[in-house]
Amino acid sequence: MEGFRQEIIVGAVLLYMVFCVVTGIWAMRRTHNASDFFIAGRGLGPIVIALALFSSTLSGFGFVGGPGLVYSIGVSSFWIVAVSSTGYALAFFLVAKRIRMIAEMRDCISLPDVVAARYKSQTVRLLIAITIVLGVMGYLATQILAMAVVMQAILSGTEMFASIGLVTCVIISSAVLIFYCVSGGIIASVYTDLVQGAIMIVAGTLILVTATSVFEGGMQEATSIIVADDSESMMPFGAAGIIASMGWFFVFGLGLAGQPHLITKMMMNKKISDNRTILPMSVIGYLMAALLWVSIGVIMRAAVIDGRIAPLALPDDAASVFLSVFTNPLLAGVVFAGLFAAIMSTSDAFLNIGTAAIIHDIPKAIRGKSIQNELFWARLVTALLAAVAAAFALYSHYQDATLVALLGAFGWGTFAASIFPVVAIGLNWKGATASGAITAIVTALTINLGTQLFGITFPYGMNGQLVAFVSSMVLFMGVSLFTAKTKLDQDINRMMDI
Amino acid sequence: MDIKQNNKLIYVLLAISSALALILILIGFAEPVADAGGTNHPSIASMKIGGNGAARLAHVGNYSFAFICLVFLLIVCLAAFGVSAKKRTREFWIYVGAAFGFTMLVSWKLFMGHQAFLESGETTYSFGFPTPTAWQLYGAWLCAIPLVAVYTLGFRKFIYTAEDEESFNHLLKSKSDTD
Repeated sequence: MEGFRQEIIVGAVLLYMVFCVVTGIWAMRRTHNASDFFIAGRGLGPIVIALALFSSTLSGFGFVGGPGLVYSIGVSSFWIVAVSSTGYALAFFLVAKRIRMIAEMRDCISLPDVVAARYKSQTVRLLIAITIVLGVMGYLATQILAMAVVMQAILSGTEMFASIGLVTCVIISSAVLIFYCVSGGIIASVYTDLVQGAIMIVAGTLILVTATSVFEGGMQEATSIIVADDSESMMPFGAAGIIASMGWFFVFGLGLAGQPHLITKMMMNKKISDNRTILPMSVIGYLMAALLWVSIGVIMRAAVIDGRIAPLALPDDAASVFLSVFTNPLLAGVVFAGLFAAIMSTSDAFLNIGTAAIIHDIPKAIRGKSIQNELFWARLVTALLAAVAAAFALYSHYQDATLVALLGAFGWGTFAASIFPVVAIGLNWKGATASGAITAIVTALTINLGTQLFGITFPYGMNGQLVAFVSSMVLFMGVSLFTAKTKLDQDINRMMDI
Repeated sequence: MDIKQNNKLIYVLLAISSALALILILIGFAEPVADAGGTNHPSIASMKIGGNGAARLAHVGNYSFAFICLVFLLIVCLAAFGVSAKKRTREFWIYVGAAFGFTMLVSWKLFMGHQAFLESGETTYSFGFPTPTAWQLYGAWLCAIPLVAVYTLGFRKFIYTAEDEESFNHLLKSKSDTD
């Protein structure tokens, strides 16, 4: 079997991509209008939502970047994983019920729709839509690039595709993504997420079993080796230090409730009462999939320090080297399919919310009405958005690497800082005002963009996203308390009493 | 009634958030320490090390402990904020209080365990990790479980009661009649 390692991996990935295409064709028959395309007609069951929620959270960053972070800086990044369960809990307490209620009352198909209904402000809608589009471009470009790089690494290991280029890999991977997203919209997206989530759970669990058997003394022997080399990197704050860890704890813990691609899925369940089962399923699913992050990272750091493996050229090589050295080919095939699943499940979610912002929310905010034939435009813009992101990723890769990094900063942290106060607090507080919301969003965008553009750093490795998040929270509440309240619409007012 | 109770809680949220901002400012003005955010591994280029843990915590350790305690307090207050004021009964506050108590236990154990290691240079191991790190990894993850339990098991009592469901259906019906 070892002699066919590369073929088995390619076969597993190919099988997964065929599944995505078939799901797209199946979902196309169930997509009749823009509501089906963007929020699946609010008809999804709890298992689908739960798996879609956690698989969209754990992107390629979780499968590649996560182990790389542990390899590079020790346990600092454990804070991101450990606090995610709290993030899910908060998102359900603060957002799940109310966003689903507003979505049904007002026929909302996007997050900006919800905030426009809550604040009676087209400016807030426009700002949220712009934030989403900027974030989506950065996120999507990095995901497409990651997908292409992994595909190139897999295919170049075979005789037939030994000289395959990155551009070809971008085209192939984007084509699959575009096909199922364009044909089946969010229905294809969530049903592929369902399988993607299942693959990720299996991959995470099997990797943990494999990882604990690398050293005779299991995980404890591995961690002891790291402690002997540099104790701080295996102590609770890791090599990056306590302030960086606290920043991740805050931004990833609270920030989950501000991620548009996740909370939009909370508008899609059939019944509000399903939330009681969706929350525990999401938490457990994420935990099992994230085992890969922790176990690969620790084992690879220990194995390199111990001299069993040569030092990695890049920390992000940790997962692929682990798979090629320590796992059997079948498991490597499952995990590589899981990696594509993780990247695609996040990408399709971003494509969906980005398209909604462009064809639905920005026209509505500017013209006061949405465009005609939204379903047609949704399909067209989904394809265009993915194509632009792919081109952007390639341009950045070959010409100017700072571009994607810059927009990448508009990722998790900016969504957290600009959307959390406006949505998570604003949907539960009648005193929140449009002025407070606008101040919070502008502050978040300014600090996040400013720190990236001007290379501003903070003492003790403090994260600029943390500064942006805390500032936007304080300003949102402070400005809302001191500005005149707009009378809420009667239905929104009554909904907020429930 | 509902608005007034939520207004009270918003002041608590604002106070906690402002305190967090203040701590960040104090950290910004704390005496700098070399390599506080880690430094390159002496022999492995793609790896970083933490180095002298005691020195890194000397000026910001207490601020950091206060920060993490306040974040946990903010989390439970936000969870309570997401529950309609009339359903925040004494029973609910007991559960939320217990959840907060558990988070404080985890914070204490991981901070003090780390402190003890820095003083003695020795650590025990639990579930594959140095004990303070085990508190961080498993403990921080488990911190959410009481909140998940309150949400899931108390869903029909605190989050979305039968009465709520009826009110919402009535709201939908009256809206469709108006439309």
